Formats: sequence, C-alpha cells, structure tokens
Amino acid sequence: MGLFKDAETFDTMLGGFFLRVAETPEVADKLLDSKLTIRFIYSDPEVVLFIDCSGDRVEVRSGDTDTKAEVEMTMSADIAHKFWFGKVNLTAALTRGQMKAKGPVPKILKLLPAIKPTYTMYPAYLEEKGYGEYNIY
Amino acid sequence: MNGYAGTILRVDLTNGKLKEDKLDPSFARQYIGGVGFVVRMYLDELAGKTDIDPLGPDNPFVLMTGPLTGQKLDGAARWVCGSRSPLTGVWADCNVGGFFGAYLKFAGYDGIVITGASRTPVLLRIEEGTARLEDASRYWGMDTYETSDALAEESRGGGRGKDRVFTIGPAGENLVRFASIVNDKGHLAGRAGLGAVWGAKKLKAITAFGSGKPDIAHPERLSALKGELKEAYESSIYIDAIHSFGTATYMDVGVIGGDIPMKNWKLSEWEGFDDLGPLVYEEKLLAGRKTCYGCSVACKREAEVLQGPYAFPKGPGPEYETLASFGTLCLNRDIEAVGKANDLCNRYGMDTISLGATVAFSMECFEAGFLSLEDTGGIDLSWGNADALVKLVDQTGKREGFGRRLAEGSLRLSGELGEETRQFLTTVKGLEAPMHDPRCYHSFALAYATSSRGACHTQSPVFPVESGGLYFPDIPGLAGESEGMDSHGKAALVALCQDFGAFFTGSAVFCNLGASPVTALQAVEAVNAVTGFDYTLDEVIQLGRRIWYLQRSLSCVFGASGADDALPARLLSPLEEGPSAGSVPDMELMLKEYYTLRDFDPQGRPSPEVLKELGLSDVISLIQP
Repeated sequence: MGLFKDAETFDTMLGGFFLRVAETPEVADKLLDSKLTIRFIYSDPEVVLFIDCSGDRVEVRSGDTDTKAEVEMTMSADIAHKFWFGKVNLTAALTRGQMKAKGPVPKILKLLPAIKPTYTMYPAYLEEKGYGEYNIY
Repeated sequence: MNGYAGTILRVDLTNGKLKEDKLDPSFARQYIGGVGFVVRMYLDELAGKTDIDPLGPDNPFVLMTGPLTGQKLDGAARWVCGSRSPLTGVWADCNVGGFFGAYLKFAGYDGIVITGASRTPVLLRIEEGTARLEDASRYWGMDTYETSDALAEESRGGGRGKDRVFTIGPAGENLVRFASIVNDKGHLAGRAGLGAVWGAKKLKAITAFGSGKPDIAHPERLSALKGELKEAYESSIYIDAIHSFGTATYMDVGVIGGDIPMKNWKLSEWEGFDDLGPLVYEEKLLAGRKTCYGCSVACKREAEVLQGPYAFPKGPGPEYETLASFGTLCLNRDIEAVGKANDLCNRYGMDTISLGATVAFSMECFEAGFLSLEDTGGIDLSWGNADALVKLVDQTGKREGFGRRLAEGSLRLSGELGEETRQFLTTVKGLEAPMHDPRCYHSFALAYATSSRGACHTQSPVFPVESGGLYFPDIPGLAGESEGMDSHGKAALVALCQDFGAFFTGSAVFCNLGASPVTALQAVEAVNAVTGFDYTLDEVIQLGRRIWYLQRSLSCVFGASGADDALPARLLSPLEEGPSAGSVPDMELMLKEYYTLRDFDPQGRPSPEVLKELGLSDVISLIQP
C-alpha cells in the first residue's frame, strides 16, 4: 500500500502542481524549448498525466492515454512524490527499475537542471493547497 | 591458455635486455589479471626494496591486460598499469581503455614488466610475438598526437592495420608530476603521474600490433551471455544517456544532487554551469563519436573548435571530469576554452583533474593575496579567466613560467606558499580530488580517504554504486538503498565495493561506465566462459579482497599511514547553499568502523593476522616495523 489512498487525491495534487510549474516562466520557458510531449504513467494509485510542451504554452492533461507521447515515464506514485522533493537519485532509480522510460531519455535528462527550482516549489505548494500531511521531507 | 596470451614480457631498460616468461595458470587463477597481476608482480619485482625514488631506475612499471581484454564484449576493453607515483609518493594504478590492451594481447603478451632506466630515449615495438627496443630520439619532444601519428604511419602497409601507440608527451619528458601516458590520443593512464615515471626512464612509447586471438574455453557460454546482455544493454537508460551525450551527460544529472564542485569546492550551484552542459557541448564542440575495442556503447566524444582564440583541430573531446575541473571548479563558463585546455592536456600528456584542481587552488590563493601578478608572470588568476587557464595549461606542459610551479601539483605549491594556503587544498595522500563531492555522498569521503592512490573515484566502484550507475542486485550488501548524506553503514558498503571492485573493474577488467548493465554473476560468468575457470561470486570477492590488501600494503610500504586516511578541511566544510547544504561526512565514525572491518592497526596497516588469512604472509615484514 502506497502513500496515497486514492487516485483522485494524487491526480489533483500532482496535476495541480504541474499546472503551477506550467505557469512559472523560469521553468516553463525551458520546458517549451524542449518541445517534448511526456506521458507519466503512475501506479498505486493508477493515474496518467500528459505534459505537452510542443505548443506555445505548457499543457497538462489528466488521463490522456490517447495522444502519442515522445517520452513515456512509468513509476509508482510514491517514487514520483519523492522525486518532486528532489529526494530521488534519478540514475539509481532508472538503473534499479524504479523508474522506467521509453523514448529519447537523454532529452529528459537535459531537462533536469531546468526543473531544479521545482524542488523547493513542491513542499510550498503542498502546504498552500492543504496537502500538508504529504509534506514528508 | 584460454583467455590469456600466456606470456609476460620483461624489459630491462638499463641493459636493454628483453625476456619472456610463461604465465603460470595457477598464478592467473589467483590474481585474475589487470590490477591483480600488476600489484603482485610489482611487489615481487621490488624484492624487499622499499626506499626507492619514483623517478629512479629502481621503480618498476607494470602494465597488464585482463582475461577479457580483446574480447568483443561491451565494457571490457580495459587494462591496468601501475608504479610508485612521483606526485603522491605512494602506490598508483591506472585503469585505461582504448585499443592498446587488446592489440598487446593479440601480439602475444598479457602484459609487460619494465625495470631500470635508459640513458637515451627509447621506444618498445611489439609485433606478432616479437618485441624490440629502438632509439626514440627523433620522437623525443613530440607531443602525443604527433608521436602517435608518426608511429602509426610508419607501421602502415603490407595490408595490416596500424600499430596501437601508448606514449608520453612533453609533460612526461619534463617530469610534470601529474603527467599521463596516452593511448591513441584520447585514452589515458591519467592520474598520479605515471607519465613522469616513463619520462625518467626515457621510455617514450610502446607500440603494439598483433593478429592472434586468445582461445576461449566455452564459446557457446560466452555467446549465450552476450545474447542475455544484448537485451539489458538495449533497455538500459544509463547506456542510452552516455551513448548519446558521453560522460558530459553527468553535468545535468550530478548538479541535481550537488555532486559537482564549483569555485574550488566552495559552491555546488552557479549560474554559469548551464554553459558547460551536454547541449552546449553538442552545439560548440562535438565533432564525432568514438569507442574502445569491442564496445558498442561508444561514450567517447570527438571535439573541435574551428576558429577563435581557442581553436583546435578535431580530436578526443573533454569528459565530464574535465568539464568540471577546467570549468565549474575555476568558474570558467567558456566551454571552448575547456576544449582547448583538454586538447593541450592530451597532447602534452597531463591529468586534467590534477591540473584543473591546481589552477583552481592557485586562483583562490591569488584572490586571497598569497599569489601576485609578479608570482604568476603577469597572468591574472581571477576566477573564470579562460585565457589564463589555457595559458597555464600550456606553460605547465612545457614547465615554463608559472607553469613550472603548477607542474609540482597543488600540495607542493601550497608548501611553497605557506601553511595558511593548506585550507584551499583538495588533496588526499597528495592526489587532487576528482569532481564528485563527498558532502552529498558520504561514502565517497571514506573511499577517497582509504584509496591506496589518494582521492580517486575509479579505484573502486563506490562512486557508480552509490550514485546509481552500477547496480548489483546479486550482492546483498550492495543491493539495498542507501541515503547519500548519511555516514552510517558506509564502512561496510565501501569495503565491499573495494573488494568486489578489485575483481570487477580492477582485474576482470570491466568498465565502470560501459559495463553498467552487467550484474555481478554475469561478470563472473564472462570470466569463467573465457578462461574455463570455475569461480563463484563469493570466491571472486575473496580474491578481490586479497588484491585490495596488496594495493593497500604497497601504499603502506611507501610510507602511507593512518594519518593519510583523511580528507582535507575544504572537503569537510559544509556548504551554505545547494542540495547538500550543511552536510558533512562523519569521518571519525566511518573510519572507526572501517578500521575494525579491515583489521587495521592505528597506523592504518593491515594486521599480520588478516594478511596471513589472505595468504599474504610475505607482505607482513615489509609493512610492520
């Protein structure tokens, strides 16, 4: 049993955070430069979030399993949650199979420095939106 | 002899005599190859002499391939050489990639033991089971690229491939204390100054060519293993990343955890970092891709800059360590200047880590007033001065101007500048730390402190295991998750990495990067399939343990003590900002646990009991008073 009781909570919480990131120019501009489309497939609970950076603004779509994505990342909701605190060793998670990726992974790695500011945004967002119980780090 | 050429070449440079010894199969089984052969043969060659000058004729130099060198197997092209270091004064072994090792074996030799010193420049030519010394006066003074091209060109014709060249450049000839030996221009025995050992011996180069292939005991098992590994390689994201961007990809990954040192280890975040990443590399430097023998990973980059102040022709490009040491460490955001400095280091034959760290040390001394423009010959050593960096690299290789002082390394330079400059040093046992910060992975701190050659990220696989590049689910002590910024439990992790690593990357000899998808059991199977031996995983860890104790003992023989198992103050000073802010490795805790596990006395010497248990009784009298 993971940290999250139901899909709705995780979907709203992380989806909302992605929308916050999409509205943060410091990060969003670099995401748009990449023109990537990424599908995050989460388990325990099962949630799908689609991030579309191919247009002139970053779009976040919940449950989009149809649109073709350049990259697909698969992981548990707990690992995803830990990642946005900056607490996941990405190389180890990928090597150990805790995260799986399909597509041009180097393009994802290139985004890592760009998303670094989000690690401090995430706990602040959780507190602000009433998800303080999940602010575990 | 399956997996081995079966012959060791012995070269006495003092009298010019060459001799061949048959490789004893029982010796091969006990010491496997690579660093196992190197340390055992070096120790035997010393014959009890311990007070030897690293730059004198009594210091042997040993170069050995492993049982897999020359096999068409990903991440297995490597080989090892070792000697007493003129930089640190203690034992140094270097793990090298490229093609030279494979072709040495194809020529009929598992390795070479070199003793004595020549009075005039010589080169050793090895071809199809024959070896001879030749006058090398006409190559002396050439850089490594010129030497490699000239020797390779001479060997062309007759329908055979070119000679593979392992050579020193002007830095080795000038006895720069961190001079390297360079294989095919871009594969270096990089650290701790083995190039100066050759320079002192007046050995300019060794060439190798051969067409013989060692027998394989169980080709069908090796083929099955390759099939199994093919799938693992195809699905490995790590391999995908280093294939696509080379080791430069670590600039993006390492910065997340705060692993990249900046401004002589005073920062782990700096806005100029973005200008040194893999994207900018691709845009401004990338000119092609290369690989080592038999390896499809192809993580090596070719680089060039066509015009401008840092123009250089196409050649091996900078690795991550160089991007950091000439880039972030000196706050130099000009990647073309890094490329130029790397090109000069390859040509002169110099270690980019030690030189970058020595320049960064000098920049801090300059800022603090311990060095003046008068001292530097008018060179402004302000942080980020790319022109100064490139000029100093050139001066150091030639031992000219202020470069004469840099050529001695940062520890000796600090000795000249005064006690107060010690606070800026980043050396362990005299070797400048590589570009991985022990404040974000505490295990690195212990690995640096206890490495027999000084601060090193490659002598054992602690770095790739802890940072995630290597994963061995079949070794229980390495399969669990580890919290980087925690010192608890790290002694056992480091000791196990060192023991298994002495087999895996040391003796087998697998690559820390290119063999990322290989499990421990697959590594053992590869060696068994090739050699016909019947090693178990437990046995290779035990054999690795013995080899590791030999490395440790050699450094003790050369005077290293418990006091040298320490990190400099700079690496133990907490950072104020960044992912590892406030984190400091607990050296007292880790060393206490480690010394107990290793059965060391307070002087850092292995106890007679543990050496006896490992079958190393002959070493006891060398290290005990």
